[in-house]
Amino acid sequence: MSSNSNGKQRSHKAEMLLERFGKKLNRQVAGSLVACVHCGLCTDSCHYVQTNPGDVTYAPAYKADRLRKIFKRHHDWTGRVFPWWVGAKSVFTDEDLEELKDISFGKCTNCRRCTINCPMGVDFATFNRMLRGMLVSVGVMPEGVAVVSKDQWEIGNQMGVLKEDYIDTIEWMSEEMQIELDDETAVIPIDKENADVVYSINPREVKYDPRTISDAAKIFHLAGENWTMPSEGWDMTNFGLFSGDDDLGGAVSGMLYDKVVELKGKKLVISECGHGYRSTRCEGPNWAKRDVPFEMESSVITMLRFIKEGRIKVDKSRNPEPITFHDSCNNARSCGLFEEPRELLNLVCEDFREMYPNRVEGYCCTGGGGAMSMSEYSGRRLKSAKVKADQLKATGAKIVATSCHNCVDGLSDCIKHYDVGMEVTQLVNLVANALIIPEKPVIVPVEKEAEKVVAEAAKLAGKRVLIVDDEPDILTFFSTVLEDNGAEILTATDGEEAVQIAIKEHIDLVTLDINMPGKDGGWVFEKLRTTKETQTIPICIISGKPELRRLIYERSVPAPDGYLDKPVDEDMLLRNVRKIIELAERGELASISTS
Amino acid sequence: MISHEAMHLAESLAHYALIVMALVYILRIRWFLGFVAGKERQAPTGAADTNPKRGSNYSLAIIAMPWVMESTRTKPFLYLQFVLFHLGVVAGITLSFTIPFAAEFTALPIVQIIFKSLIGAAFVVGVIRIIRRIGNIYMRAISTPDDHFALWLLTAWFGFAYFAVSMDGGMAQYIYFWMTMFFLLYVPFSKISHYLYYPFTRHYFGKSMGRRGVYPIRRGPAAS
Repeated sequence: MSSNSNGKQRSHKAEMLLERFGKKLNRQVAGSLVACVHCGLCTDSCHYVQTNPGDVTYAPAYKADRLRKIFKRHHDWTGRVFPWWVGAKSVFTDEDLEELKDISFGKCTNCRRCTINCPMGVDFATFNRMLRGMLVSVGVMPEGVAVVSKDQWEIGNQMGVLKEDYIDTIEWMSEEMQIELDDETAVIPIDKENADVVYSINPREVKYDPRTISDAAKIFHLAGENWTMPSEGWDMTNFGLFSGDDDLGGAVSGMLYDKVVELKGKKLVISECGHGYRSTRCEGPNWAKRDVPFEMESSVITMLRFIKEGRIKVDKSRNPEPITFHDSCNNARSCGLFEEPRELLNLVCEDFREMYPNRVEGYCCTGGGGAMSMSEYSGRRLKSAKVKADQLKATGAKIVATSCHNCVDGLSDCIKHYDVGMEVTQLVNLVANALIIPEKPVIVPVEKEAEKVVAEAAKLAGKRVLIVDDEPDILTFFSTVLEDNGAEILTATDGEEAVQIAIKEHIDLVTLDINMPGKDGGWVFEKLRTTKETQTIPICIISGKPELRRLIYERSVPAPDGYLDKPVDEDMLLRNVRKIIELAERGELASISTS
Repeated sequence: MISHEAMHLAESLAHYALIVMALVYILRIRWFLGFVAGKERQAPTGAADTNPKRGSNYSLAIIAMPWVMESTRTKPFLYLQFVLFHLGVVAGITLSFTIPFAAEFTALPIVQIIFKSLIGAAFVVGVIRIIRRIGNIYMRAISTPDDHFALWLLTAWFGFAYFAVSMDGGMAQYIYFWMTMFFLLYVPFSKISHYLYYPFTRHYFGKSMGRRGVYPIRRGPAAS
């Protein structure tokens, strides 16, 4: 504790925060702090305000004033001399800091919609990020932010994906592509030097959605691109953007830049991720305080160029359903990337429909600003998602495409919560689906195809799969698909039953739902991982509630061997189950080697 | 009637206050420029016809383009209030010069009508704004004593300025000059000085948004 000139006690953290504030201020931020006239024009632009009418604590100007008050008290002499008159106020206690945390992390996604609507040019989102960074620097932050930041600092990517898991997934996707294209040359090159394109991805793709990697690989391969993926420093996401930690931001983007330089890559292509694109393409050089000696572009622009240059052919009739597009705030409002995805969608989809408002005026998916990692604010987030749900419903589309992994999760939650009845996808999936794959000159004999089918089925023959899910329809669907492919099926509809079966029976794989009555999937997962008889059984999580992932991944046991988002189709289920069993047989599952 | 000497004193003090205001403004700008500007290293993104300079110009002009921002496009009445209020300020300040230095010009009927229309409209807007600041829950929550006082002060000033236009040398004109003096002294220390920062905030934000291809804003086709 220290005391200020009025004799009022100030906590150590509050003291440190004020010291940090002085160091972080620059002219742009000071301008935004001093220029607000409290006109209130920004109020309605915020999705939190629209869904919480009458609660003034969500109003952008009110939220911005929490930092503005401190600025006035310590950096503007009008606030030093007449604090009450101009609303200046300092922070003293740790409770004051908690209040700032609640506002900056829990009531704003830094979507910048209020900024773009401010007549004075006050960039609230930028100084809200700065406030987050100040709080993080004194250890005040939501637990999820601390966990993810730690992973990114220590492991190099924000989901704690180990190098062997990453390489394994890339090789798996490479094999999938070879099979699908029936082309042995179709491989994903790793650490190839002098490539024209170095492709960086989001760890979510490795962990939850490897299909986006194989789809992108297919596009690069068919376009004849000289490309590669780096074995390290491959994470283009950057939690520094969300946590406000410029040091983390600079370190993460710096790792990626270093790798591209090391590989002598000519261009860095960033897969579809709003905050990743903004962090790597726009903010990274500022955080890392260095100029980047190579080009960087979004994979959306790359795919569009491939089509325009005739390097890949697409057939839009393969995507016949009505599709709308959600603009990621970071892509559109902070990086000007909004026409290219539309151009691309019009080339690969038959029925593209605009959502209103859109482009720089679009609403946040409500999963932005790191909100998906802050489970304590999920209730607020889902409430505010009503605005997005209404927007989605009004389009009448069956599918919403977006160029951002955070938005995929945010929209999926929104769609489920408000029962919108839409599917979420990314542009890479749509482009891959529309690809016209050139016919090979050699005709594969029918017998050989049949042999392949038999060989695939053989992978599951005699394998015992325990399906744990409380939904009868899911149990029936999974059982039928896997039984038709030779597996022997056991089922459980609650957690305790699942653990008992796993202990008693010899099981080759467990597919596990998270959200179940009684003992949930998280409990089952930990129990299986820590019980001697079951700890080597491969586990694939299959859940329709992405917000519950923390129940699995925050446990101090080896991560699951697979993760699928519901709804799961037959191909996806089979592909993943076969792969996990195959890797388990070869002793190559990371969970088994670490358990 | 106020004596000629008293009126002259009020007029003179108002003009001295203007000098004080200018000096304080210089100090404020010096203070503001003491903050180091953040450097932008990223290569330009977005459409080819956008760039930092164009973004900055667009940003500075955005206040005159109510159709650009949703906040002004969907609230035309608030935008109209903004225009009238600020025109009233310009008219009120101009009046403080035309009364002592161009009395004959100020007495012209057409000039009187223009002044009275602008200042009168600004007064009405001031009253509406007071009601909004007190009556609207969001406005009340974000308002400081300075916000309230500045609005009351300006609205009252418009009221006296309205009657001062008639050039009768009466009490209204006398109070108008004293208020002008107070107003000019108070402005640099209050939120009224926002226009001092406007060019900076809009320039920096516009430069950044221009580099990133966001400014000038492109809107898609309107919803059917």
